Amino acid sequence: MKIYILVWLSLVILTGIAVSAAGMDWGGWSLGVALGIAFLKSGLILNYFMHLKDERGLRLFRWMVPGILAILILFIGLTFFDVAFR
Amino acid sequence: MMETHKNDIGSTFGMWLFLLSEILLFGGLFILYSVYRYNHSQIFHLAADALNRPVGALNTLILLTSSLTMALSIFFLKNRRPERSLFFLFLTIFLGLFFLFNKYFEWASKVHHGVYPNAPGLLERERGEVLFYGLYYSMTGLHGFHVLVGIGLLSVMFVFILRGKIDHERILPLKNTGLYWHLVDIIWIFLFPLFYLIT
Repeated sequence: MKIYILVWLSLVILTGIAVSAAGMDWGGWSLGVALGIAFLKSGLILNYFMHLKDERGLRLFRWMVPGILAILILFIGLTFFDVAFR
Repeated sequence: MMETHKNDIGSTFGMWLFLLSEILLFGGLFILYSVYRYNHSQIFHLAADALNRPVGALNTLILLTSSLTMALSIFFLKNRRPERSLFFLFLTIFLGLFFLFNKYFEWASKVHHGVYPNAPGLLERERGEVLFYGLYYSMTGLHGFHVLVGIGLLSVMFVFILRGKIDHERILPLKNTGLYWHLVDIIWIFLFPLFYLIT
């Protein structure tokens, strides 16, 4: 139960960091910082609230989420390969 | 007596497959968003400035807290404390409604200012701004619909616990509802910086 509250506190702190970072001018880095924090927060939720790290039923569980993210990144990459060179 | 069949791994696996399809559903919209933002970066920045950042941040905190209360509700049911589980489940439902309540006022104020899909005043503005608000309404709208469905599922779980249909032994329906609720939270975690925090 303690771990849930700790994870929640980290999520709130990360949100605070994301909001205050948006107030500063980081140039091209700001999107990276915002997305980095978002991925960190989802990682915390997936592993602790959704218990992905304890899922022992099937080995497949470990690879499903990274797999789907890889597919998405592949599609985003291919889309931009098209858009950027038009 | 009817034989009941239970397959916890299968049910959890099925739920995860559904959640992954949800990620792809929103993923397609995120790709659309990133291409339009790439093509209209300056206008997206100006349009995002007009969104209510404090309300967006408040809604982020509401959903994060509702994820905590959801996890606690499952934790207490597992530990044979259904009355505490019901309390935290009620809090989760309340926070979900609070989120939608804020969303309603946010949308209402935008509509009041003549910013809604196909609004005559909006269509005269720059193309990038029309695209930004189109994406804003469709993505936060689809997300809001998911919150609404989540509240419905949570309410069904509330009744199930009340009637003793799920307990510490048959906890899977509550767990799967929790997985869905956390995913809705994760989607908002990406929507918030992409719409409210563009710098």
